[in-house]
Amino acid sequence: MMRLKVTFPHMGYNWVCFKTLVEGMGAEAFLPDYNNVKQLDPGLKHSPEWICFPFKVTLGNFIAALEDGCKVIAMATDCGPCRFGFYYAVQERILRDLGYDFEMKYLPQGDLLTFEWVDLLKSLCPDKSLFNNYLVFRTARLFLMKCQLVQDIEKYEGLTRCYEINPGETTQIAKKCVQMVDAANRYYKLRQLRSRIRRMFREIPQRKRNGTLKVGLTGEIHVTLDPFTNHDIKRKLGELGCEVHMDLSLYDWIVHKFHLNFHRKYLEYLSKTHKKIGGLQMDIGGEAYWVLGEYINWAKRGFDGFVHTYPFTCMPEITAKSIITKWYGDRIFDLPPAFFPFDEHAGEAGFVTRLEAYVELLKTRKEKMKNGTRRN
Amino acid sequence: MVLVETKVPSDIEGDLYLGIDVGSVSTKFAIINDNMELIYATWARSQGSPIKSVQKGFEEMKNSLDSIESQIRGVGTTGSARYLTKALVGADIAKTEIIAHAVAASYYIPGVRTILEIGGQDSKVILLKDGIITDFAMNTICAAGTGSFLDHQAHRLGVPIEKFGELAAKSTVDVVIAGRCTVFAESDMIHKQQMGHSKEDIIKGLCEALVRNYLNNVCKGKKLEPPITFQGGVAANSGIRRAFEKELGCEIIVHKYFLTMGAIGAAMLAREHVLHEDIKTNFRGFRVSDMKFIPKAFNCKDCPNQCEVTYVEKGDGEIIARWGDRCGKWSL
Repeated sequence: MMRLKVTFPHMGYNWVCFKTLVEGMGAEAFLPDYNNVKQLDPGLKHSPEWICFPFKVTLGNFIAALEDGCKVIAMATDCGPCRFGFYYAVQERILRDLGYDFEMKYLPQGDLLTFEWVDLLKSLCPDKSLFNNYLVFRTARLFLMKCQLVQDIEKYEGLTRCYEINPGETTQIAKKCVQMVDAANRYYKLRQLRSRIRRMFREIPQRKRNGTLKVGLTGEIHVTLDPFTNHDIKRKLGELGCEVHMDLSLYDWIVHKFHLNFHRKYLEYLSKTHKKIGGLQMDIGGEAYWVLGEYINWAKRGFDGFVHTYPFTCMPEITAKSIITKWYGDRIFDLPPAFFPFDEHAGEAGFVTRLEAYVELLKTRKEKMKNGTRRN
Repeated sequence: MVLVETKVPSDIEGDLYLGIDVGSVSTKFAIINDNMELIYATWARSQGSPIKSVQKGFEEMKNSLDSIESQIRGVGTTGSARYLTKALVGADIAKTEIIAHAVAASYYIPGVRTILEIGGQDSKVILLKDGIITDFAMNTICAAGTGSFLDHQAHRLGVPIEKFGELAAKSTVDVVIAGRCTVFAESDMIHKQQMGHSKEDIIKGLCEALVRNYLNNVCKGKKLEPPITFQGGVAANSGIRRAFEKELGCEIIVHKYFLTMGAIGAAMLAREHVLHEDIKTNFRGFRVSDMKFIPKAFNCKDCPNQCEVTYVEKGDGEIIARWGDRCGKWSL
């Protein structure tokens, strides 16, 4: 029986989840290296110049995999309102024009309750005669478990780093946890891992400090979750002494697509109820709808900062950015936002300058607020 | 270019603080005393090597200010090469130029609400309230509308950049040049030139296009409230200043220390830091100019990122700074 060799794009730590999805169905997962400069180069070369950055990164992933003899590509798609909906089609054309022979399997993720993904999973299974629905169920369950664990790792990582005594330890632990999640392939093992991961992060030697800044990080999902794409903004914020809060994750997204994510529903509610001041009324693509809700949510919860990351030419996120800028400028909400558009730039000096200045702004602001004066 | 009238060094008493602003085009040095008065300022062209330009500045200071070296109690660095310079001279703090500019401007121009800062490679806008930064923006991916572009166009037109403002003032006709992207601005400019417009009109059009681009891209959605001050190397260009005044409809203050504001701010931040923490400075002294620093680089082969790690070695082989890696393994 020929096992299919399937590849998929990289997005931060989430490769462990996709790997389960492929291997659980009996196919072979082909993992390109973590996103890196060398892999990005062909992606840049063959992409339209003004396309969003994730397109270029994922195309780079695919080319690297095809070069190594992989024949099947799995890619999520959406009939969504932004350019992401056309990623798979344009990428398939570009790759065919380059002369590669492959099969593109796409996962319509607009609404997972339509169960179209079951067909995708079934088509990965090499032995059709042995097929049973239990295999699909088992794989989907493992996938969700792993997504949840990866979300935990991302969350704890952001919250712990600013307190660590030995610099770099949090990063090490996070990497170790991802390896552990990757190795476990049984339901009961993954259940045990959940508390184990929490314990591992708690056991990192920490020094509690006064005056750490509570910063929320959100934005377009690929850019926010992939440390290569966003120049490791989460680590940098942590090292500058910010407690990074993140609600965004692959798990968050998947559960939302199953219509079970009440946190996102709440964010939608927030964005909708602020109609008069420019809150969005519908999903316009990207994460704009929820970014606005998140901004209101965090402003109400008294956060110190708000960091928004997105690809340079992303229409929905730029819409959200303009609305947030206006809200802050008109003093409707008192939460200073910072915006970080990302593209292929390798020089970090300007990015780091903006990040440092932003954290400095938050620090002086917090001190001033402690002394009793508020910005008015 | 003479920046400020400098006093005779023997007159100077009390503690002094040195600020260094290493920008992309020039490196600025400023020394202030305990009363925040500017004692001395100088500059050197960066010419691609921050190490050399810092050493050049130090050599100049060694020749004219050797007697006051022992009075320096704190050193601060700012600008894009702040960490490198900090390691080089043994500075006490390295802060971003946004903070440095804001600190200095709010001291010299009390009550300032908006700082427009256009330098060689980047442009920023800083909004303040009661001396506290409330918001800032900096050009992100596009380097358009900065000093380098003006420099390049001046060269193309065969006009020395110092004469830009003077020539723009002589213009009589309004020429509109597309300012959205400086690549297109250049082709638009060439086109207008071929059509027979005078140099003066084109220069004025260029200044206005740059200002429009800056206001649309960097200051997008921000309320610029007066008093507004204009800093950075481009502030020397009176054509740009007038274009700002026309566009914003209010007076633009260009302080006499506009070029060294960042360095002064770094010195002020160093003073605050040293006094607050009550520490002794790590400053190596003006002899930094004679030391040997060798910048080196290697490609880390440990992962596919293959980061170019650069480091600076002192003459005796000690590594004083190392950076350029994504994972943080080499950073020093």
